[in-house]
Amino acid sequence: MAKSLSNIELNLNQFSPIAQSALQHFNLSARQEKVSFEKGVWANETPPAGYIRLRGNAQNPVFLAATQAALGAHIPCLACTSIKTEFGSLYWLSIDEWLIVTSVESRATLQAKLEQSLTGIHSLVADQSGGMTTIKVLGKHAADALSHCTVYDLHALNMGKVVGTSFGKLSVFLCADHDGYRLLFRRSFADYIWRYLERAAEPYGFAIANLS
Amino acid sequence: MFVITCPHCCEAREEEEFHYEGEAFIARPVDPEAESDEAWGDYLFTKKNPKGWHWEMWNHATGCRKILVLKRNTANHIIAGSWTLSDARKEYDNERATA
Repeated sequence: MAKSLSNIELNLNQFSPIAQSALQHFNLSARQEKVSFEKGVWANETPPAGYIRLRGNAQNPVFLAATQAALGAHIPCLACTSIKTEFGSLYWLSIDEWLIVTSVESRATLQAKLEQSLTGIHSLVADQSGGMTTIKVLGKHAADALSHCTVYDLHALNMGKVVGTSFGKLSVFLCADHDGYRLLFRRSFADYIWRYLERAAEPYGFAIANLS
Repeated sequence: MFVITCPHCCEAREEEEFHYEGEAFIARPVDPEAESDEAWGDYLFTKKNPKGWHWEMWNHATGCRKILVLKRNTANHIIAGSWTLSDARKEYDNERATA
């Protein structure tokens, strides 16, 4: 009895959680191929990233100055815009809400810098790395496939624009990149969104892209 | 399907992105404890339900998740405009003052 208890303690000490892809059950990395013109739509989940949700009053110059000091960039205050910075991307989500996407390694430092800079200012900084994921959709028929999934008019989605819209029955943030589309959404939506996308893209020829 | 312009996202979007939130500008009693049951019930459940122009709140549920105000004609679904809550309040008060 005593022996088994100590075994449990030992196992707990050795327990170190590892971030696992929300789509790991599809085994995407083993099925990915080099992107070519043979298929109309290519998609894959992007590697794990650090996601920080930032909230605050965009009308407050003190808040804006504090975020600028921490991030080294002005947060986008224009509706539906995003910017690229040296640490990653900054997305406008709402009039008082932004999403910062950075690498897993730099997430903690950046968050600490933000928290320190925003001390005493009415705001929120939250790590959402465990709750968010991103899918990248490429290919000449990427827009056609996505049109089956979302009500947003993709012709209005210029490069760098980010919109909160529907995907089937769920909500996603949709962003246009130079080479395709980026879907940012909750981790728990991943299975539904991937299956929906795969089904919608199949008539155009679908394959899993090697994004590296 | 309506096409609703979100004053926060500054863009026309499909109705599917929005959620209806009921009649706008129903004043909440200042002291609910002091209200009679009739007055409180009236505040909670009595809505205008007009045939014609109606001021109503919508939530941009899949987008910015903020509340906006629409002036919509319930008979023919024409949308006169959409505003943020504070801007709509001015329009609403102006309209009532001139009526």
